[in-house]
Amino acid sequence: MNRQQAEIKLKQIFGFDRFYDEQWETIDLLFQAKRVLLIEKTGFGKSLCFQFPATQFEGLTIIFSPLIALMRDQVKSLVKNGISAKFINSEQTQEENSQTIQDAIKGILKILYIAPERQENQEWIQATRQMNLSMIVIDEAHTISVWGHDFRPAFRRIVNLIQLLPKNMPVLATTATATKRVQIDVEKQISNDITTLRGRLIRDNFNLFVINVKSEDEKLIWLAENLNKIEGTGIIYTGTRVNTEIYSRWFDFLKISTTEYNAGLDGETRKDVENGLMANKWKAVISTNALGMGIDKPDIRFIIHTQIPASPIHYYQEIGRAGRDGKPTTIVLFYNSSKDDKGIEEDYKLPKSFIDGGRPSLNKYNRVINAVKGEQLGGRQIMKATNLKQTQIKVIKADLIEQGIIKEVIYGRSKKYEYQFDAPELNTKAFEELRELKLNELESMLEYVNLNSSRMQFLCEYLGDEIPEQIENCDNTNHQKFISNPQPETVNMLSDFRETYFPELRVESRGSNIVNGIAASYYGVSNIGAALRRSKYQNGGEFPDFLLKLTLKAFRKQYGQEPFDLIVYVPPTESGDLVKNFAEKISRVLRIPISHNLIKTGTTQPQKVFKNGYLKRDNVSGMFKFDSPNDINGKAVVLIDDIFDSGSTIKEIGKMLTNSGASKIAPLVITRTVGGDI
Amino acid sequence: MNEELSYWLALAHLPKLRTKKKNEIIVRLFEEKKTIIDFFHFEPKQWKDNYQLNENEILLFQDAIKELSNYAFMVEDLLEQGYSILPITSPDYSPILKKNLGRTYAPPLIYTKGNKAIMKEKSVAIVGSRKADKVSLDFTDNVAKTVSKDYKVIVSGFAKGVDKQALDSALKYKGQSIIVLPQGISTFNSGFKKYYKQIIEGNVLVLSIFFPKATWSVGLAMARNPIIYGLAAEIYVAESSNKGGTWSGVVDGLRKGRKIFVRKPVFNEKNANNQLIQKGAIPVDSSGEILSNEQQTIINQNVVSEPDSNDVEHKIIELLKKGVFTSKKIIDTLKLDWSTRKVSSFLKEQDEIITVKGNPLKFAHKEKTIQSQKTLFD
Repeated sequence: MNRQQAEIKLKQIFGFDRFYDEQWETIDLLFQAKRVLLIEKTGFGKSLCFQFPATQFEGLTIIFSPLIALMRDQVKSLVKNGISAKFINSEQTQEENSQTIQDAIKGILKILYIAPERQENQEWIQATRQMNLSMIVIDEAHTISVWGHDFRPAFRRIVNLIQLLPKNMPVLATTATATKRVQIDVEKQISNDITTLRGRLIRDNFNLFVINVKSEDEKLIWLAENLNKIEGTGIIYTGTRVNTEIYSRWFDFLKISTTEYNAGLDGETRKDVENGLMANKWKAVISTNALGMGIDKPDIRFIIHTQIPASPIHYYQEIGRAGRDGKPTTIVLFYNSSKDDKGIEEDYKLPKSFIDGGRPSLNKYNRVINAVKGEQLGGRQIMKATNLKQTQIKVIKADLIEQGIIKEVIYGRSKKYEYQFDAPELNTKAFEELRELKLNELESMLEYVNLNSSRMQFLCEYLGDEIPEQIENCDNTNHQKFISNPQPETVNMLSDFRETYFPELRVESRGSNIVNGIAASYYGVSNIGAALRRSKYQNGGEFPDFLLKLTLKAFRKQYGQEPFDLIVYVPPTESGDLVKNFAEKISRVLRIPISHNLIKTGTTQPQKVFKNGYLKRDNVSGMFKFDSPNDINGKAVVLIDDIFDSGSTIKEIGKMLTNSGASKIAPLVITRTVGGDI
Repeated sequence: MNEELSYWLALAHLPKLRTKKKNEIIVRLFEEKKTIIDFFHFEPKQWKDNYQLNENEILLFQDAIKELSNYAFMVEDLLEQGYSILPITSPDYSPILKKNLGRTYAPPLIYTKGNKAIMKEKSVAIVGSRKADKVSLDFTDNVAKTVSKDYKVIVSGFAKGVDKQALDSALKYKGQSIIVLPQGISTFNSGFKKYYKQIIEGNVLVLSIFFPKATWSVGLAMARNPIIYGLAAEIYVAESSNKGGTWSGVVDGLRKGRKIFVRKPVFNEKNANNQLIQKGAIPVDSSGEILSNEQQTIINQNVVSEPDSNDVEHKIIELLKKGVFTSKKIIDTLKLDWSTRKVSSFLKEQDEIITVKGNPLKFAHKEKTIQSQKTLFD
């Protein structure tokens, strides 16, 4: 098919008149059954480069994509154009996914989007035996390189797959962000016979700003004073999940319409937020970087980072989601340069801690290796055998599989991890190299923050795009700098907010009369953690009175005038009568009678000993009882504890009290941890 | 090498093409310094002219090409789970299997899990009935002990009886073992669990020649037997009846000139070990030591080498030497408690007995029929 013929079909199917030259070049190579790496900026029209040939091939085109939102959007618009397309991912029910697989086998589908993790699914693997395949596409191909940001272990399998494919199968890998190093790595992995097409990365409709601040509060204050002055709707990226919540409550307090988004929300809620973003439902969505990749919204007018990303590549990728329509777009990055006692800048710490915490210590690796050497183990069994955090086990497993030390083997419906006979020694050199690389990238991000010259030029050059002329679209070239200059009234509002904001405890579950509870504070983001630690572990005496006041405030905010019949408290494991005394004080103030009948049926370990949810649950399961059930039957109960971590204890007691006849169990704690930080 | 694997599966699992033909293609490619990838992407004319494929075979390969990408998914999954896929051209492929089975029978592809280097060691197969008696199992244990002490590898078919004993004994004496599966490699769940330690320590290799997802069947079990013989440098027979897998395997081996050791049976054992010795197998004693002619004579004197005269099977055969009978007639004459069906099926399996068509079927001994034919033509 020549270009002229192709463009006639293009008009018929997609309604476009013609291809860009680079698009046609790509498509032409795919028609010749070649392998192509296409590096083009967001908004270029990379999708058409595989969607068009897919409609012309006889069989099925499979697109491996890590982005669920992108799958959804693209499938919707393909179907609108009368092209038979579907996706398989964790958002759909098993039945829906199975139906899609059947359609693919029957040859009903032309285009199938699928998450790379699906390669671990036996139903999928079995089904691929019967599909008539025409082309394979790897979207966001930088994720197959360990040198790329967002490297995904599941993509390693896609690389292996590509190497096994017949030589006459066209393969397209696409990305918007690849440095030279990543490009070479991807080329090497896909084929020694690959053509790379690289486009311009410059986004000249962006206006780039960096705002230097001296405290966290200054960020909140600047946003309070300026967010509504920025045109349109956009995204505010915070570095952590807990900050999405805090920022969003702050805007609630200011009556600026926002919502939060992070990977901790359930799929349904996430989908709602994504749809709301598309419909400009809020001024801003406050999110971790989980949002936005693959969302096809042309008019995201601003992107604001309250924390620096891990590297200029991450930054380019994340801001790249804005302004796809080519209209002026505001891009802001905050940096808190105040220094701690050790002389380290505050905003350097978070990304640095991600690098430091990215890899568990060697002896944790050895714990997993030794456990798996002893016997075949499933995922949960590894957790139980090693007492490591789930997130750490995930990293360790991926590394050990990558290095060929263990394998994940499927037996019927269960997955087992097995040590390998000829397993090599754990190679820690690879970890150190990667750490070195990440530290360098972080340094480059700081370079961007402190830059005196064109910011866009810096980003493009960092990504391996050679820029011919000077680009002027930032606060170092042609725009006035944004300055942090807090007004006293905003400062006061912030302190009002601080005193009325309390984290929620989401513990409601079916079959239990427990309701979502409230904590007086976050453990890590205030002086409360330190006060608790002093009392609990350093013989600092009773919990101080300011904790009582704050906790009572939280109680009133959450439960208002709701009537309660009884206060109970979680019996201690090791901190003596601290919680009991605290509960008694609350009982006196609220004039709700206290009961001492909630007791343990055996000895439990302190929950903090256990590093993952399974072990925490096991530790407390069946360990509580209420001594005089008559006292509790039909009663509304306040349940008091000091620290809320995984929530296993509170939930377990909630279940037990429900079974004893309690009509409502309302948790009230002093502090809630963020991601297990005790 | 990996990039060829999808192509190897497509060739190895190509239906309706004999192993010999597949191996001839491989040999030809090897000689011409071409790869299997080159082969699949040749024009049909090249297949026809250079590789002597006929029209039907060309169609087979054209279908196989369409499946290459499907095989790619399967290979990726197998490798990810730690299985090895070894084409016959791989340096890891068992050299002795190649040598013993030759291009006519050597499988173009084998699947393994565990220590592949075991395939390069001196190897011994101990074979025998699934329902072997204690004498045979003791013999198996004795031989496995010696074999393991000599750092040789036991090849086991993982069937009940002698096979299982050979494997268990090898592991008991800290030896090494190859398990040859009568099924696809990814269906051996319980075995991989049971022998996990031995596999990761490098003392067991699991091997299969079948489609990875294939489940056990009689057909696969039969097809596996020659692989056991092929993987072994020496073969010991603990116990064989005069039919079934062990018997046909040994007879086949003897015909190919393999050295096969058979346990000399003791007094009144009901098996066909002596028949194998008569066919050329080497008699050994209960610990696997070769018996001299003298020793054999002594044993034969102590033992009534003829089968026990009370033996029903023997009586039936003797009866048929005297005439042509129906099953019913045999039962009546010999006052047996067998069913007619049992008699018929027993007789149908005996080489020396032929059936005489008619309703009901009649049976005759070869000696007798030759005589009767003579009379027919007189």
